Amino acid sequence: MAGFVSVGCRTGLVVASLVAVPAVYGQDAAAWLQRAAGAARSLNYVGTIVYEHGGRVETSRLVHLLESGSEFEKLTNLDGPAREVIRNNDLVRCYYPDAKIIRIEPRSFRNAFPSLLPQQLNALAAHYFFRKGELARIAGLETQAFIFEPKDGLRYGHKFWADIASGLLLKARLLNEKFEPIEQFAFTDIQIGVKLDRELVKPPFSSLPTGWQVRESPPGEVQPQETGWVVKDLPAGFAKVVEGFRTLRGKSAPVAHLVFSDGLVAVSVFVEPVPPTPQPVGLSQQGGINVYSRQLDDYLVTVLGEAPGATVRQIAYSVAHR
Amino acid sequence: MVMGKLQVAPGDDAAAGAVVKAEEISLLVDGELEVEHIERVCTRLRDGASVTTWVCYHTIGDALRGSSAIMPGFAARFATRLGEEPTVLAPPRRGPAPAAMAWAAAATVAAVSIVGWVAMTTLPMGDGTLPAALATARQAATVRAADTRPVVNNEYLLVHQEYSPTTAIQGARPYLRAVAATDPDARP
Repeated sequence: MAGFVSVGCRTGLVVASLVAVPAVYGQDAAAWLQRAAGAARSLNYVGTIVYEHGGRVETSRLVHLLESGSEFEKLTNLDGPAREVIRNNDLVRCYYPDAKIIRIEPRSFRNAFPSLLPQQLNALAAHYFFRKGELARIAGLETQAFIFEPKDGLRYGHKFWADIASGLLLKARLLNEKFEPIEQFAFTDIQIGVKLDRELVKPPFSSLPTGWQVRESPPGEVQPQETGWVVKDLPAGFAKVVEGFRTLRGKSAPVAHLVFSDGLVAVSVFVEPVPPTPQPVGLSQQGGINVYSRQLDDYLVTVLGEAPGATVRQIAYSVAHR
Repeated sequence: MVMGKLQVAPGDDAAAGAVVKAEEISLLVDGELEVEHIERVCTRLRDGASVTTWVCYHTIGDALRGSSAIMPGFAARFATRLGEEPTVLAPPRRGPAPAAMAWAAAATVAAVSIVGWVAMTTLPMGDGTLPAALATARQAATVRAADTRPVVNNEYLLVHQEYSPTTAIQGARPYLRAVAATDPDARP
């Protein structure tokens, strides 16, 4: 451990001199993150990803290419039904041959790291220890491991392995308070910076086969505005990133959506009128995502994010009318 | 719910009179009941409430293992058929060897399973009534299954990923979660 100093307290001259240390730390951590984010978007690569969560293992093939400033990506799962996800810039199409359904999703990917705000850097430094880990060989490439270790029980630990040559993440692991893996993504083989043909990211068919359905989601953009909802007891380090209403497929009324981030992960709060069909309440988990739902008056509050169950629960119970 | 009248073996009134504890049935279903209790529990399994509990635990087990859902009215039909079966259990005599007791338990379970299988395959379906106890069992199973195979609102999950900073550094990672989903109906 490099012995970085927390900046939990930001007042006084003494603290002012300490802030300089985490700032350097923050830049170092941010440099890794920004390089990884840039590589993920701008490089051509093709490889096999293994996703492990809750004792299950799923293998997928990923192709990513950038052509004339346009980003194409295709993900095919290799186990079970041959589901595919094809992304062209902000348009995502999911093909589910088992259900004969195509989902079309307009998605704007906010690339958070290339534009890390100073307060996000401060939050990173205040709530995580950052350190470089070992040099490791992954998918035949030399990588540098780096670790974000939480300073409290409100967040998970993160370990990343970045390809030294390109910065691309070849492995990522989410760790609980006992430093045990909760979820892991890893390339088992990868080619980076190769010439790739557009054929590789082509949809499985050009015209819709008979019997298939198209389900198109409404534009998902949040109109930033006050929703009338507030989180009173926000866990330390989390700050609001966005607040507004959005229209979602399957929801009759607009849903209030508030996003909070500690610089490394985000937690979403959704508030909707109680749906006519009963919804499960309480805590559930999918891989590294914890979800907590509860009813508040005539509303259903759902909180989810890559944070421990206690954190999403705390947020769910502190949602209130403004 | 209406349960069929079940016979009590003669000479075993004292044992059959007491209600079997749900925990004991649970242990029996899980194969964890201590050998010396197996025969006693099996013998008392003939009262309606215990049989319902026994069926419930199997339903929960099936749901947790992702086996096919039980058919509506199964418990009622099962109980009726079981009521019509001749009583095969003999009252306990001299303490038999543990192995014999285990065999007795296995035989009981096998017999009950066969009855259940016959009930499910030969009786007409679609009476539409799900006994309350079974409904509760299903609910419990759903809640417990949520621990292992949760149904996370996919719409929320995908929307959330747009804002997750970790998504940004891992490209298609959120969609790994989407394509890895085991239940296609819950996803698209």
